[in-house]
Amino acid sequence: MTLRLDIPRIETDRLVLRGPEASDFEPLAGFLLDRERSWGFGTEKNMSRAWRWFAMSIGHWALHGFGYFTMEWKETGQPCGITGIWAPEGWPEPELGWVVYDGFEGRGIAYEGAERARRWAYQDLGLTTLTSNIVPGNTRSIALAERLGARYEKTYNNVEMGEDYLYRHPGPSELGLDCDADGSPEAYA
Amino acid sequence: MKITVDIPVIETEDLILRGYDEADFEAFAAFGTSDRASFVGGPHTRWDSWRAFMAGIGHWALRGYGMWMIEHRATGTVAGRVGMILNDGWDEPELGWHIYDGFEGKGYAYQAALAARDHAARHFGLDGVISYIDATNTRSLRLADRLGAKHERDGTVVGTPCQVWRHPRVARSASQPAEV
Repeated sequence: MTLRLDIPRIETDRLVLRGPEASDFEPLAGFLLDRERSWGFGTEKNMSRAWRWFAMSIGHWALHGFGYFTMEWKETGQPCGITGIWAPEGWPEPELGWVVYDGFEGRGIAYEGAERARRWAYQDLGLTTLTSNIVPGNTRSIALAERLGARYEKTYNNVEMGEDYLYRHPGPSELGLDCDADGSPEAYA
Repeated sequence: MKITVDIPVIETEDLILRGYDEADFEAFAAFGTSDRASFVGGPHTRWDSWRAFMAGIGHWALRGYGMWMIEHRATGTVAGRVGMILNDGWDEPELGWHIYDGFEGKGYAYQAALAARDHAARHFGLDGVISYIDATNTRSLRLADRLGAKHERDGTVVGTPCQVWRHPRVARSASQPAEV
């Protein structure tokens, strides 16, 4: 079995969204092990579990064809967070997620990255709706979801996070993204 | 970027060692959530099993080797996993084997471990490898012994006490000449 994953490289004004690379692990682990920062995402209790989270995120790309991009800060080439589409076992629906690493907040990175990832999901993956799952009390994420036009839909029980809010994003037609220039939705393969 | 997950297929008399299909997850989770997984850090929740399943694929991408799914040739059923593991926190790459309910006592673990060990030595440059085994896991200890491994020391893996068994070097033994 050979899976060759062509994870796109997408540029925004200040970011590059690209597939995970081995050297992304260190900054990712810094986030996953830092409870202060990662409690709303899922804190890992040791480096071994953080590494397996990273391996899992690559397996997610392999089986689903989508997953978390590494966001790179164009100016310095540093990984500054992750964003992408996440649909693990037990999740209610595919969700748009975002994480910004220590030292990169306050620059609008999450908005810039997540908005682009959402557009990719609608235009290239052909998804017709997207959610974001946000732990109650994660006010920064709620504010960003709302800025992205998402609306609270319901509270449910997430297999990993427990009590969780489900926010629903505007669909492709509301965002004027129904079709590509050639007039047809593009399938991503 | 391109991520390449290249999982070779190895055929033995009764088994096919191969990559992961989404359909394998139910058998994988049935093992992971059962008491049978108590020697491999479990039992796990279904969610943790899903994480482990995906990480099993990602391991191949990050390390270039990993654990295969074991398919039982006669029935097409998934019978377990076998292969080389180097999670963060491991001292060195480890030969591991998990046999699912209903497939023990038939020599499948031996057959699979032998094939995986041989392949790892010849193609991954991993020879004379270790296996971490729980001191009370008598079936696995017997299998390690049958595979010619020797108890090297007592150790820990990510904080959990275990025995470290060392396998013989196999790549250039007379009975199994290296492939060209």
